[in-house]
Amino acid sequence: MRAIRAIAANTLREAVRDRILYLFVGFAVVMVVSTKLFGLLTVGDETRIMKDIGLAAMQFFSMLIAVMMSMLLVSREVESRTVFNILAKPVRRWQFLLGKYLGLVSIVAANLVLITVVLMAMVLIFSGQWDPMLLFAAAMTMLEMAVLAAFAILFAVLTKPILGSLMTLAVFVVGHMSEDLWLLTRQLPGAFTRGVIAVVYYLVPNLERFDFKTEVVHDLPIPMAAVGWASVSALAFVTVVLFLASLRFQSKDLK
Amino acid sequence: MADIQLRVSDLRKTFHPGLFEADVEVLKGLSLEVRRGEIFGFLGPNGAGKTTTIKAITEIIYPDSGTITVCGHEHTSPEAKRCIGFMPENPYVYRHLTGREYLRFCGELLGLERSGMEPRISKVLDEVGMESRADRPMGAYSKGMLQRISLAQALIGEPELLVLDEPMSGLDPVGRRDVRDIILAQAGAGTTIFFSSHIIPDVEALCDRVAIVVDGTVRAVGSVSELVPQETKSYEITFTNLDLDRISTPLITHHVRSDATWVRVAAENRDALIEELGKGGARLASLNPVRINLEDLLIEHYAGGAS
Repeated sequence: MRAIRAIAANTLREAVRDRILYLFVGFAVVMVVSTKLFGLLTVGDETRIMKDIGLAAMQFFSMLIAVMMSMLLVSREVESRTVFNILAKPVRRWQFLLGKYLGLVSIVAANLVLITVVLMAMVLIFSGQWDPMLLFAAAMTMLEMAVLAAFAILFAVLTKPILGSLMTLAVFVVGHMSEDLWLLTRQLPGAFTRGVIAVVYYLVPNLERFDFKTEVVHDLPIPMAAVGWASVSALAFVTVVLFLASLRFQSKDLK
Repeated sequence: MADIQLRVSDLRKTFHPGLFEADVEVLKGLSLEVRRGEIFGFLGPNGAGKTTTIKAITEIIYPDSGTITVCGHEHTSPEAKRCIGFMPENPYVYRHLTGREYLRFCGELLGLERSGMEPRISKVLDEVGMESRADRPMGAYSKGMLQRISLAQALIGEPELLVLDEPMSGLDPVGRRDVRDIILAQAGAGTTIFFSSHIIPDVEALCDRVAIVVDGTVRAVGSVSELVPQETKSYEITFTNLDLDRISTPLITHHVRSDATWVRVAAENRDALIEELGKGGARLASLNPVRINLEDLLIEHYAGGAS
């Protein structure tokens, strides 16, 4: 456990000392702050528009950070061979991966906390409204990012850094089109095409499950069953994907 | 307490680079044993399988077959890993960390007691001569400094067995001497040392025993004096006052300098040449036996491997 914690802490420290992270975080904060501007330019409830765009920016930049940091921090560790010194010590390969995963999740979480604080402050300042449901939306985004980070780790183990990032990005895009894919399987004529799309549908998590933006922005009741189901599916995906990553990494020769 | 600290038996490894590339058989039944307390040199040309063997010992790669035991434990076990201090061929370190932070990280991975960690880090930094530069980011370190920190991380867990892959490569003469001194100090403290190297004088100066590895197998193991034949194969003779064309004894090679003539003659022809020089009125300036050295022996093995 101590080794996992040390690897996670080192991953977090590396990210904190990397200027690229600040670039992303800076953009995210600017984006959230400029939601006020979008609110002024768009017809509709200004506060709702601010929340809507703010939550979308939170999700987008968290995804970018997860994808980029997985490439920088996980693949780089293998590519630059700093992993040699870790694996020569009493550290199991799955412990290394779990440590990197927790480090990556911590980076995304720290970024989410910052963006949420900025968004809540913006909403409070401009509409005088204290909205704790924004915290709930951030927590669900965190669950989504936890799933995405697990895929990032899997792809970092399976393939080259750039390709791994693109594949993680693909999971994000396809994961948000999951329900459309399901509709496609019913409407396409060819059995083979339908079969392929069905396989993709089952392999890629439905990331829309974690999206409660509409409920939060429009003050709608939160369906607790959906929250429970999203949490269980996140846990299941993270467990299975990290297990697969460990399985592959366990037998991998490092050069 | 095992007397054999490292036992590698019949290690085989073939790499499969890709679909359209031929397989590369790197290790072909490599076996060796390193005894407790000795400095063991692992010599061989590039591509002989030295680094592959070391990577297999440290579980960076997996051999296709064969067994490795470290301090009496299966090499992948945590007990074996705790026993090993490993320094890779190039110092792969985190540029964002300072030297001290890196050693702290390594100490955490090894599960060192937190209370004893800082004194241990300071001691190791002192041993490798990095105490004064330990709080600088490693991204600003020179090659020599990185090599020292890399050695420090290998020493941090007080290992019973130090596995060093080319520890002196790329270092200047002062750096080499320092690393050599550190290795000797560790050996003096009872640590078993297994290191690969290309630098023959270092191996001759440090090693109790040497293994010569060529083409994935160990060709010879023993102390340098056991491996290198003691008999004199030829003599180098320098003389004056006689022209070379007046000598009929067969020579291996020769060189006429402005002040003297230098020749190399086979051992069996030495007496004949000396007699001839005496009869011709030559003045003998020097006579030196030429013994085969480790370098000659290695080249012989390498040539055998290549053929």
